[in-house]
Amino acid sequence: MEQRTPTLRSVAWLWFGIAIVVLVVGFREAIFLTPADAAQGDVGRIFYYHVPIAMLSLLFPYLNFAASLAYLFWRSRDPLKALTADAFAVASAEVAVVYSSIVLLSGMLWGRVAWGIWWAWDGRLTSMLLLWLLYVSYLMLRRFSATGQGQTLAAVLSIFAAVDVPIVYMSIRWWRTQHPAPVFGGGPNSGMDKSMLPAFFWNLTGWAIWGIVILLFRFALERKRQLAEQEAALQAIEASLEIPQ
Amino acid sequence: MTWHSFINLSTMEHRHLVFAYASVLLIQGGYFGWIAWNWFRTDDRRH
Repeated sequence: MEQRTPTLRSVAWLWFGIAIVVLVVGFREAIFLTPADAAQGDVGRIFYYHVPIAMLSLLFPYLNFAASLAYLFWRSRDPLKALTADAFAVASAEVAVVYSSIVLLSGMLWGRVAWGIWWAWDGRLTSMLLLWLLYVSYLMLRRFSATGQGQTLAAVLSIFAAVDVPIVYMSIRWWRTQHPAPVFGGGPNSGMDKSMLPAFFWNLTGWAIWGIVILLFRFALERKRQLAEQEAALQAIEASLEIPQ
Repeated sequence: MTWHSFINLSTMEHRHLVFAYASVLLIQGGYFGWIAWNWFRTDDRRH
């Protein structure tokens, strides 16, 4: 255990360094090397952050869903495993909020230029906003629940929240309104020009590696908090058992 | 595109491109910074 910590720390720093390098390459490709979009001009470069982050924003809710199921399963069977699952659930929910906030914000900034409006109650935008609201509710429930059952209630909520993910994914296939059609798998006219591929894949890879960095860092922080709380509770019990002189 | 034309804020098109990239980096960096700040504020009880 004593030897594992420095090794894990070295791996974490290496992974962090790789994320920064890949993101710098992705930024350079997106802004300086890829030609401007023929129809939209330079504002079309928002694509290289908006789309990869939107794709990744739909993965973190499933991690939260799996961790919540594990928490509910272990809650009464193995409380220590349940605590670990709960730490992973809160980390993945926060990262889901970070990624979906970016998708909404960058989409609004892009939409104002491309469509002339900040927002439309279109299927994709509305279902994405709903996903964001569900995970903000999840975090607020954990933070402010006065029942002592906040983690369990939040785990149940996360099962309902996960149902919205396939709706977000399918929304641009089911309802063709304001938001553009899917880039991949959206029919014969979908896909992107070859000149766009390096910038897209560097940023997709970079934000995926970065997502793992912040997810594991947040998970480690939550475990540290849990251990500190356990230690404080043990000390309080020991102090209460001491016989006054 | 160059740094000069990227940071050119004279048109809405260019402003929104800069705001979109800056907000992504600020939100991600801010969240990472928040975790790091809490990491150093939380006692390590394992040792």
